[in-house]
Amino acid sequence: MLNYTLRRFSGILIMLLLLSFVTFVLSRTVPGGPFGKVEVPMGEKQLAQFKAKYGLDKPILEQYVTWLGQAVRLDFGTPFTAPEMTVTGLILKLLPYSALVGFLACMFALVVGIIIGMVSAAHQNSWLDNAIVTYSIVVGSIPSFVLGFILVYVFSAKLGWFPAGGWGGPKYLVLPVFAYGFPATAGVARWTRQCMVDVVSSDYVRTAYAKGLQRSQVMSKHVLRNALIPMVTSFLPMFPGMMTGSMFIETVFGLPGLGKQFTLASTNRDYPLVLGITIFWALLISMTYFLTDILYGVIDPRVRIMEKSS
Amino acid sequence: MSKAKSQRNAQPNNTSEVHVASNWVAAWRRFRRNSLAMFGLVYFVFIVFVAVMAPVIAPYAYDAVDYAVTYQEPTWQHVLGTDYLGRDILSRLMWGARPMLLVGILTGLVGMVIGVPLGILAGYLGGAFDWFIQRLVDLFSALPWYLLVLYLVMVLSPSVMNLVLALSISSWVGSCRLVRGLTLSAREYDFVEAARALGIPTRQILFRHVLPQAAPLLLWGFASGIPGSVFAEAGLSYLGIGIRPPMPSWGQMLGQAGNYWMYYWHIFLFPSLCIVISVLAFQGLADGLRQAIDVNVNV
Repeated sequence: MLNYTLRRFSGILIMLLLLSFVTFVLSRTVPGGPFGKVEVPMGEKQLAQFKAKYGLDKPILEQYVTWLGQAVRLDFGTPFTAPEMTVTGLILKLLPYSALVGFLACMFALVVGIIIGMVSAAHQNSWLDNAIVTYSIVVGSIPSFVLGFILVYVFSAKLGWFPAGGWGGPKYLVLPVFAYGFPATAGVARWTRQCMVDVVSSDYVRTAYAKGLQRSQVMSKHVLRNALIPMVTSFLPMFPGMMTGSMFIETVFGLPGLGKQFTLASTNRDYPLVLGITIFWALLISMTYFLTDILYGVIDPRVRIMEKSS
Repeated sequence: MSKAKSQRNAQPNNTSEVHVASNWVAAWRRFRRNSLAMFGLVYFVFIVFVAVMAPVIAPYAYDAVDYAVTYQEPTWQHVLGTDYLGRDILSRLMWGARPMLLVGILTGLVGMVIGVPLGILAGYLGGAFDWFIQRLVDLFSALPWYLLVLYLVMVLSPSVMNLVLALSISSWVGSCRLVRGLTLSAREYDFVEAARALGIPTRQILFRHVLPQAAPLLLWGFASGIPGSVFAEAGLSYLGIGIRPPMPSWGQMLGQAGNYWMYYWHIFLFPSLCIVISVLAFQGLADGLRQAIDVNVNV
C-alpha cells in the first residue's frame, strides 16, 4: 500500500513539474507578450525597466527556476492587471464564490442523478428506463450557458422571481446552481445506471437470489456496495472540477468567481495570474485523483492485490 | 467440414472480406433501429448541406447591416428576425454551421492523426516509450480541456485553425488510449504472432493486421468527440475567444446579444436551439454507432 501510494504521488509531482514547465515556457516565448497591448505605448527604456522589474530579461530557464522556487512556497508573484494584490491572494479571494456555487451544483447533480440512475437500473429495459436513458442524452446536450440564458429570460425577465445575476443572498444562487447542476445530472444518472446494471447482471447477484435472499437485501448488500466503488471514484473528482468555477456560468450570471477571472486573465495576457490559476487547478485536480486512487485501494482489496502482483 | 476447411484455406482473403462486410451490414441494421441515431445521421447530412450551400441558400449576406430593422422579431422578410445590427438571423445561423462543423470534424481528425500512431506505437513497443506516452495521457486527461484551450487561445490569438489546434491537444488522448488498448490485445492474437514468426516487418504488421481491427472503434471514437467540440466552439465563441466577428458562429451570436437578449427572445432562442439540437444529434449519432458496433468500453 505504501509503495502504491508513493508511486502515485511521485507520478503527480512529475506531472505538475512537466505542466508548469510547458506552460511557463509557452507564456514567455510567444510574440506580443503582456506589454504588447497597452494603451499608452512605452519607450524602449521603459519597456526594459518593466521587464527588469518582472525579471523578464533573464534567460528562460533561470526565470523558470526562480519562479518554481517561489511557487513551491505558494508565491506566484503579482498579477499584471491587479498590481496591488498577489496571485495567491486573488485566487483565495475569488475561490469562495466559485466553490459555493460549484458545491451546491455538484450536490444537486449527484442527488438528482443518482436517484434517477437507480430508478432506471431497478426497472431495466422498461418504458421508464428508456425514458430516463433518453432524458440523460437530451439533458446532457444542453450547454449550461444556454440553459442559463433560458432561465434568466423566463424567471428574471418575464416572471421576476429571481435576480438575473450578481451576488447577494440565497436568492442569487438559485438560477446559477440549477443552470450549472441540471445538465450534470445526465452524466451522473448515466454512470449510476451503468454501474448498477453491471452488478445486477453479475453471477454473485444471481447466486444471492438463488439462495433465496429478498430483493431489498440483495440490492442493499450485494448490488449497492459493489456499485459504489466505481461511483465514488468517478463522482469524487466532480467536486474540484465544478468548485473551481465555470467560466460560462460565471459570465452569464455575472458572478465574481475564479472561472471568469481566468477568462479575463487570459484575454489580458496576465501571465502570472494565468500560470498561478493553472497550477492551482492542476494541483487541486491531481490531489483529488490521488486521494481517489488511494480510496480505491482502501475500498477495493482487489486493487491492492493486483498492485502487489504486478 | 473438411471441404469447407479446405475452401477456406484456399481463399483466405475472400472469406475474411465477406466476414468483414457482413459485420458492417449487421452494424448498419442495428444502427437503423435506433431512432435517435437515425435522426443524428439525417441531421448530419442536412447540416453539411446547409453549411456547404450557405452562400447560395442564405437569404441575406451574414454581414449585411440594416439599421432600419434592428432587434426585429420574426417577419416574412426576416424569418427568424434580426440582431442588434439588423442582420438577418437565419442567414447568420446558416453561415454559423460552417465553423461548428469545421471545428467538430477537424478536431477529431487532428486528434486521430496525433493519437492513433502514438497509441499503436505505445501498445506495440511497450517499455519506456509506452511509459512516457502513458504519463502524457495522464497529464492531458487530468486537466480540464478548457484550461488548455484558454491557454492556447491566449498565446495564439483566436481563429478557427487555432481553436482546432487547441482542442486537438486534449482530443488526441481518447483515440490514443483506445488504440493502445486494442494494440495490446491484438499483439496476443494468433495471426499477429504468425505474421511476426513469418518475419513480416513491424510496420507492416501494425498497418495491415492491427489497425484494421481498430477501424470501427475509431469511427465511433471520432463521432463521440464531435459533440464536445461543438460545445467547446459554441462556449468559447460565446466568451469572445472563439470565432472572430464578422464571421458568425452560434455561440458568438449568443455572446453578442449582450444584455439585450432579456427583452428580445428571438436573439438567443434560435442560436441556442441550433447548439442544443446539434449536440443532441451528434450525441445520438455517436451513441447509435457505439451500440451498432457493440463497443464495450468505459469512457
